[in-house]
Amino acid sequence: MTYLSFSGTSPRRRRLLRAAVAAVAVACTVAACSPVSDSGDDAKTEENQAAGQDSFGTPADPAAVKNGGKLVIALSAEPDALDPTLSRSLYSRYVFQAICQKLYDVDERAQVVPQLATALPTTSSDGRTVTIPLRQGVRFADGTPFDSAAVKTTLQRHLTNARSGRKSELGPVESVDTPDAQTVVVHLKQPFAPLVGALADRAGMIMSPKALQSLGDNFASAPVCVGPFKFAKRVPQNSIDVVKDPNFYDADKVHLDAISWHILSDASIRAANLRSGDAQVADSISTQDVAALSADASLTVLQSQSLGYQGLTFNIGNVDGVGATPKPINRPIAQNAKIRQAFEYAIDRKALVQAVFSGIHAVACSPVSPASPFSSPEAQACPAHDPAKAKQLLAEAGVPTPYPVTMLASNTPDTLRLAQALQAMVKDGGFDLKINPVEYSSLLDEQDRGNFELLQLGWSGRIDPDANITNFVGTGGSQNVAGYSNPQLDAVLTQARQSNDVEERKKLYGQAVTILQQDDALIYLYRQRNLTAVSKKIQGLQVFPDGVLRAAFAGFTK
Amino acid sequence: MARYLLTRAWHSALTLLLSTVVVFLGVRALPGDPALALAGEDRSPEALEAIRHHYGLDQPLPLQFAQYVERVVQGDFGESIRTGVPVSSMLTTALPVTVELSVLAILIAAALGVGAGVLAAVRRGRPAEWLANGLALVGLSVPHFWLGLLAILYLSVATGLFPASGFVPLLEDPVDNLHHIVLPAVILGTGLAAIIMRQTRSAMLDSLSSDHVRTAKAKGLRPRAVITRHALRNSLIVVVTIVGLQLGGLISGAVVTEQIFGLPGFGKMTIDAVFQRDYPVIQAVVLLTATAYIVINLLVDLLYSVIDPRIRVTGDPA
Repeated sequence: MTYLSFSGTSPRRRRLLRAAVAAVAVACTVAACSPVSDSGDDAKTEENQAAGQDSFGTPADPAAVKNGGKLVIALSAEPDALDPTLSRSLYSRYVFQAICQKLYDVDERAQVVPQLATALPTTSSDGRTVTIPLRQGVRFADGTPFDSAAVKTTLQRHLTNARSGRKSELGPVESVDTPDAQTVVVHLKQPFAPLVGALADRAGMIMSPKALQSLGDNFASAPVCVGPFKFAKRVPQNSIDVVKDPNFYDADKVHLDAISWHILSDASIRAANLRSGDAQVADSISTQDVAALSADASLTVLQSQSLGYQGLTFNIGNVDGVGATPKPINRPIAQNAKIRQAFEYAIDRKALVQAVFSGIHAVACSPVSPASPFSSPEAQACPAHDPAKAKQLLAEAGVPTPYPVTMLASNTPDTLRLAQALQAMVKDGGFDLKINPVEYSSLLDEQDRGNFELLQLGWSGRIDPDANITNFVGTGGSQNVAGYSNPQLDAVLTQARQSNDVEERKKLYGQAVTILQQDDALIYLYRQRNLTAVSKKIQGLQVFPDGVLRAAFAGFTK
Repeated sequence: MARYLLTRAWHSALTLLLSTVVVFLGVRALPGDPALALAGEDRSPEALEAIRHHYGLDQPLPLQFAQYVERVVQGDFGESIRTGVPVSSMLTTALPVTVELSVLAILIAAALGVGAGVLAAVRRGRPAEWLANGLALVGLSVPHFWLGLLAILYLSVATGLFPASGFVPLLEDPVDNLHHIVLPAVILGTGLAAIIMRQTRSAMLDSLSSDHVRTAKAKGLRPRAVITRHALRNSLIVVVTIVGLQLGGLISGAVVTEQIFGLPGFGKMTIDAVFQRDYPVIQAVVLLTATAYIVINLLVDLLYSVIDPRIRVTGDPA
């Protein structure tokens, strides 16, 4: 195993690095970057100000756009299987957005709104029966009718397919009833509030039963759903094409004839395609390209805060692999929360995002995004940057300093820059950080096996806070790579999951964050912003906090 | 001849089998797990188990290998773990792109390289030679990816002469196809053209000073005929070897070029597959690349005897 140790660089280089970080911190103070505030609503605006204003894009003005044309979107990674049951990547959600409508959708305020349903679901008083009213007169792209039977078929496939990625998202679903063609009733074993959030994602995408019957597990080869567009062609590694669907219930609101996603993994090549006019949209713009692209008069850069986070995870009990019963690890930092707290005090998040991401990404101290309706002052509380306190905590813990820590991180340029800045920063708090960069697939493998001391990774985020927290820090969670277990936290999270009262859930997630910050198994660092560059020839392209690029109702300007 | 071909076929089969074993074990020795790479963020133990089971990754290695060989012999390369698309259909879309790109690149390289090489030899010590040598040096030293980026910057973004990326199949629209592929082919061909130029030049210099050329000149043949029929033909034997050897290198060069120009060929497929630990795709690509190497080597050996009748193929290829 190779260690790339930036602490091994010359003292002069280290001084320079520290000076650079300090200069940025000073510049930030002079420019009056406000701290992450303690009050919920304020936190929302302050996080936005620190990170630049949201620009979600606006719906197309029907008078200003013409009908017809093919929109080309330069996509940074290839979508996986175009099958709502099996899909596991963010990028397939971009394509689904055009061809597979969901029971519910998400708006720019991260609120769940009806899409193929006509209203938010009604839940029985015991929280175990959820009734969903459906749109009438809707047809799938193959012309067959959309009804409750189709919803039932889809949900059952999600629940029973061996490779389903949706089963856990749907939670304790017991059965699905169809009292009439326009109503679906979901019966749960226990109350499960995150269900609606799941139905606003792939679990809520309804597939044509006819297509499911004829294609079975090969549904991805020719997916059929309800959508403004229908699947036309896929060239693996290269492109996915969809064409306007005349069967769509709102077909007169669809302006484009076709959309084509071209897969171009290199950010500079995506930018070049945008500038040459070969593509009109490019996703996942690098923070380093934002200034240049924003300055181009023919382009706009859309940005929205995301629901996910990037963080640092300590291995405090993952010995036998993720999901196994945690076992003690013989390392002071795994056993003593004071050392982990010291590490958190040593981090200056604001200087970090300023230095590494030009201040475009937002500072984060918890798994609850300020964009979420479940955010509260407690959920946004943030330990201050205090290297002196870090040193004091290390002294209390009785460990020799500088305390050595090895961090496993992905070998992408952005992550390495982040790691370097972090290394320079925590040195002042009494830590000697070594960086061990590995390629992404290996990183996933090592983290699940528990072969790390500290790990840098993130999560793209989901609408319901439960999906951003429980799996990662709940005892035995499928992504609890820290091997962290706190019965008190588990109780709070279970209570929050089973409550349908937004205010109560808000309070509980606030409590959860307080507990998380005491134990510090996971240190939340920053929240990525979704950055999308769009040609001004296009109107109506939108990006919401769920990170999904919405292109279906866009059009070329007249 | 027949005996020669039979021996070569037997050796080729053995090479293929060995490379299949090496690649099969090699991809499995890579750190990282395809099920994890596929499951990505949405992984749960049950889902991982189901993915491993579906692709037979939970079977013992010897059994996996036996099943793999059995399927490949029947022409079935399995399905991509990443996209669920049959690998054979991925190959049939990717292969024509890389073949077209390579053939075009080699034609461009051969035309440029042989032309400049002959010119440099014939005009030895004059500005034409310095120019050709200088260009060859640039072609050899500048990396493909940088040239490609420059080409995109100046010929696509600034002037809009060529598309910055994308591909249109030849049969769908031949003109558009050429428009998309010419630039990458030229970029890919530059390095090779430089090598061919230098080899042609030195081989031509040898030939031009040889006895048979002197005799031809003495017979009063026109200079052009001396150069093309007597000197060049003799020099081509070296050039063909070089081109043959470089064809293999072209496949790796194509990896970079395809990535930059977003061409859906073998190269791009390989890179993506390695990152995703998409075993069936990696195995299929390597198997086909090995086959291509073997076939190209055989063709080069056979070409020798066509170009230079003094070289004859015998039963003993060693």
